Amino acid sequence: MKELEAVLIAFRESTRCDAAVWTADGSGGLRAVARSNLRLQRPETVPDSNSVTPLSVNDGSMLVAAVPGVKQTWLAVAPCDGETPGEKHLRMLLPFVGQVLRGAQEVEHAALELAERYEEINLLYTIGEILGRTVTLEDAAATILTEISETVGARHASILVHEPGTDMLHVVAAIGTDAHTAPPIRVDDPTCVSSRVFRTQHPLTVEAGEMECEAERPYRRGEMLSVPIMWTTPTGGEPLGVVNLSDRRSKQPYSAGDQKLVAAIATQIGTAIQNARLVKSSLEQQRLLQEMYLAHDLQMKLLPKTTIVSPEAEVSARVVPAESVGGDFYHLFRMPRNRTGVMIGDVSGHGYRAALIMALAMSASSIHAQSTKDPGEMLSTLFGSLREELSSTEMYISIFFGVIDHTAAKLRYANNGHPHAFKIDGDGTTVRLQADTPPMGLTDQAPAAGSVPWQKGSDTLALFTDGIVDSRNADGERLGEASVLDVIVKNRAKKPAEIVAAVFDLLEAHSGEIPSPDDLTLLILKS
Amino acid sequence: MSFSISKQGEVVVVDVEGQLIVGNRQELKQKVLDELEKGEKKFLIDFSQTGYIDSSGLGVLVSLSKKIREQGGELRLANLNDDLQTLFELTKLDTLFQISDTRERALESF
Repeated sequence: MKELEAVLIAFRESTRCDAAVWTADGSGGLRAVARSNLRLQRPETVPDSNSVTPLSVNDGSMLVAAVPGVKQTWLAVAPCDGETPGEKHLRMLLPFVGQVLRGAQEVEHAALELAERYEEINLLYTIGEILGRTVTLEDAAATILTEISETVGARHASILVHEPGTDMLHVVAAIGTDAHTAPPIRVDDPTCVSSRVFRTQHPLTVEAGEMECEAERPYRRGEMLSVPIMWTTPTGGEPLGVVNLSDRRSKQPYSAGDQKLVAAIATQIGTAIQNARLVKSSLEQQRLLQEMYLAHDLQMKLLPKTTIVSPEAEVSARVVPAESVGGDFYHLFRMPRNRTGVMIGDVSGHGYRAALIMALAMSASSIHAQSTKDPGEMLSTLFGSLREELSSTEMYISIFFGVIDHTAAKLRYANNGHPHAFKIDGDGTTVRLQADTPPMGLTDQAPAAGSVPWQKGSDTLALFTDGIVDSRNADGERLGEASVLDVIVKNRAKKPAEIVAAVFDLLEAHSGEIPSPDDLTLLILKS
Repeated sequence: MSFSISKQGEVVVVDVEGQLIVGNRQELKQKVLDELEKGEKKFLIDFSQTGYIDSSGLGVLVSLSKKIREQGGELRLANLNDDLQTLFELTKLDTLFQISDTRERALESF
């Protein structure tokens, strides 16, 4: 140590006494810290560290005293110009040596502490980088655990994450063992440290032999520091898991500082877990959304093209499901003997269950429309095909089926509880094609067929579902059947596509951006 | 939107406030089925404070009517407003239920 050596040399120059500072070398011997003369002998023995009395050693040629305030360090003063060293020389030098050594020690401690802080800052930077990348929960946890274990010098460690479905803590990352083989722990397990820390939401350091549990054996060796992983929400904290550190390389117990550092990192791990979960659920939602779009496309493809009944009839129809799929549908049939079949249906409810019933009704009616003679018989046969499905799901269908006989100029129809089916004459007279039985699935009664005259070139058939009539505006007012009919009657001379557009314009003007809670369907037919 | 249940003589009376729609139909169903489970046989659903019933609400009424009948009980409806009365008529659901203009008439009809 150069500073101390300079002090000893200055001492020799002023007193003509050589001096040296010795310290314990850790194996029972002495190591020179600084000497005024390299040929100076090593003291054969030294006084006790706590002793304040100098000891005469090496046949009385040397005086040795413990340096006050500095552990295991001694000052030895050698003969001055061949004469026995005086105690006064030693006592004069001793405080200076103590001061220089203590100063040096403080500098050393400060440097060590600074190095530790740098390590911690480095750890925080690394974790920040990990959080900035989109990684899986397992990858993020494994990287963070490696970094934190390096910093505190833990050779065994683990991160456990809570699975709400099973109320278990699962090992997602481990050091010193394989995370995949480490068993999960029940949150209410009274014997394990991890479950206790998760429940209490407080860090805990357990000593060797304390709370040893079988499940934690793979990643615990003796003392263990266990800290809860918290996710901070505006309403407070929510525990997500636990981080465990054990088997410290330095054998030093975990300090309050270590606990604080790990708690800070655990909050970062909480963010990583929450990020990974959000990314996962966002990806799942994207996939679900894609499937919903697919289902929507598929359902729309089940509906027939309106041109299949031309040129005998001209049809325009629009179906807007409230969700990606719905229970509203229409169907068109080109039938023998110059006839056109038309159907509208509304399955109770909406979404996937209603869509399944709708698909069944569509396919069954395709068969029955051609094989039955009368609209009433057709709906009755259709009910036979759907009865079991409707009964088991407690669903029902309001359904209207009409057949226009272009040769006989007649419209024959049957109606199972469908409220909105109308024929509009050329002069604007509106005739409701009324239901005579409740919706299909609510009754065993078969509907009877009715008949009205059909005049080619002037009559209009208008079929729609209650989603249109029940559309509400910002004040909660329903659009109402009368308003819809009014628009259809006013536009009756126009083409079906124009009438459909006019009704949907009315709907938009009434409801604006408010999404309809029900499926919307409108079909206009002319011949 | 709520359902309140009271007892008038032997009749369990359910008042429906607001709407009977997809979002609350199960609550009504469960409340009535709980009473049925307790052995009640006579039920009256009063719609005097009900503005709207959607198709799933109608489905629950039919389902409850069936379940009550299966247990040897009876269900009556009362106080449908004009819109609801029209809806029941147009869909022919009026043929499946006994509907009364007033609560008193409904209670007398048991």
